[in-house]
Amino acid sequence: MFGLKRGSAADLLVLLAVWAGLLLLFGQLSAGFLSPATLGSVANRIPALLLVATGMTLLMVTGGIDLSVGSLVGFCGTVVGVVMVDWGWTLPAAVACSIAVGLLLGSVSGLVSVKLRLPSFIVTLGMLEVARGLAFLAAHSRTKYIGDTIESLGTPIAGLVVSPAFLCALLAVALGQALLSYTVLGRQLVAVGANIEAARISGIAVDRPRIAAHALLGALTGVAAVFNCSRLGSADPNAGVGFELSVIAAVVVGGTSLLGGRGSVAKSFLGVLIVATLEAGLVQAGASEPLKRVVTGVVIVVAVLADTWRRRD
Amino acid sequence: MGTGMRAIVVGVTFGMLLTLVGCKPAAPSGPAADARPKVALIMKSLANDFFATMAEGAQQHQATHAADYELLVSGIKNETDIGEQVNLVEQAVAQGARAIIVAPADSKALVPALRRAQSQGVLIVNIDNRLDADVVRQAGLQAAFVGPDNRDGARRVGEALAAQLKAGDEVAIIEGVTTTFNGQQRRAGFEDAMKAAGASIVAIQSGEWEMDKANSVAANLLSSHPKLRALLCANDNMALGAAAAVAAAGKSKGVMVVGFDNIAAIKSLLADGRLVASADQHADRLAVEGIELALASLKSGQPGADRATPVDVVTR
Repeated sequence: MFGLKRGSAADLLVLLAVWAGLLLLFGQLSAGFLSPATLGSVANRIPALLLVATGMTLLMVTGGIDLSVGSLVGFCGTVVGVVMVDWGWTLPAAVACSIAVGLLLGSVSGLVSVKLRLPSFIVTLGMLEVARGLAFLAAHSRTKYIGDTIESLGTPIAGLVVSPAFLCALLAVALGQALLSYTVLGRQLVAVGANIEAARISGIAVDRPRIAAHALLGALTGVAAVFNCSRLGSADPNAGVGFELSVIAAVVVGGTSLLGGRGSVAKSFLGVLIVATLEAGLVQAGASEPLKRVVTGVVIVVAVLADTWRRRD
Repeated sequence: MGTGMRAIVVGVTFGMLLTLVGCKPAAPSGPAADARPKVALIMKSLANDFFATMAEGAQQHQATHAADYELLVSGIKNETDIGEQVNLVEQAVAQGARAIIVAPADSKALVPALRRAQSQGVLIVNIDNRLDADVVRQAGLQAAFVGPDNRDGARRVGEALAAQLKAGDEVAIIEGVTTTFNGQQRRAGFEDAMKAAGASIVAIQSGEWEMDKANSVAANLLSSHPKLRALLCANDNMALGAAAAVAAAGKSKGVMVVGFDNIAAIKSLLADGRLVASADQHADRLAVEGIELALASLKSGQPGADRATPVDVVTR
């Protein structure tokens, strides 16, 4: 037990070192990278990613995965747009609707995959298409402009470089890690992911934590959709295309296993920071779009490779 | 051993990063270099030849006016990656750009980010795809528009096609990303021309500006509407995809395709008739006119006026 914790702390330090290394590297490559403006722009860009990465970590610990989060960001965002623009409801009501829709669709994915014993990969691949289609139907394939009411969530607080959305995402990371480390549900998530038969034999109702992880991720995605809308000031049915891949990349860079049984929300947080810093740094260093993709792809694989080697030794 | 391996891997990655990024040293800090304003050109998908041509035009212009400004060029992965484009706007501001020339991937969703940039003193020039006028007014954004009249251009492309159609012929439109103003305008222009010619529009579907997507959309349209006589595509990328679908269906003789943008890749298709017409919006000039307007505005302190750029219909 002690050994595991020590290894875990070492992993955190390694990830921190990688992040610091990236900051220094890009500080060298482009003058003005290490400025509050850049760091603020990174912080204010990642709230949606952080929220969904937190939920995704909890789900991947159980051995599940959700490919529909990008489409859910698009659909829940569209719900926010319809509720606020077409119906004229307030922001809190829109947030509640977005969370409810996310929770509902996440639960559907969870129930279908767990109760009908289908791989979550397949079920959520279906949900990816369903939710994107619903987004276009609900929005009539048009972007809805929402404006100031929602933008304030994503705008830096006066005197601080970070936005309310970022602070909220930090809170979610802290709560997610606490849930994983200190609650019964958290232990069950790990137990189910590590060895589902052993978990069943030891008396855990194995379906419940798995469905709960899907549902929680859905709800967090609903919140993420609101923050995404706040960045755009609009609800766009195209929002979040490919988002699931950024989330999964950040989570695996943070060392969470695709096979379940192992993961840490705090490390996913660092994974998000690393991926976001890499992207911002490559833009500022003047790397072309194709080059950015090559470098990002290589870094993801190398990070996971390094993690695997460490574990094997 | 474990940590050693990790250190090596991390070291190699950083080394590779350095090499790939080209070991660019921090910007030269002479007084001359500092005096030049930074101008950021933010485009859509660089996988689209249209924007690649636009980028080249801008880079050539910068090379001949190297003393006047410094150019930052960027684009996004695919045409729907709006979050990434917002990020590029924010990065340009963080880099200290004095002006941003933007071809927005969404006519509404980019407005808030641009307004935030403007409130930090950055001049905004809108090129190619026009921002939504209502949203711009609501948000209080000031941005001159430099670009063509897409509806008129598409109408004229449609007329070039209509010359080879007769009343009652079935046609279909493959439109761009439905949330873009230029996409909506081109679709409207195609509809204008087809209605005037008395053709019957049996389907309108989105190919999201991309070749792949348009290819499968076209293949489906061809099998569901066997009497289809023409596919009107809102850009050339999609026209290439549609033309491939037409060839695959063995209907090269019966089904005509038109596009928009006149990218280099369609030259041979225009020559052998697989494509009937396209529209040249002079992509290379588009960005340059935007940059010139921005430089003039920076110098005078006055926001520039909108500039219409020409659209020419090209046939074989």
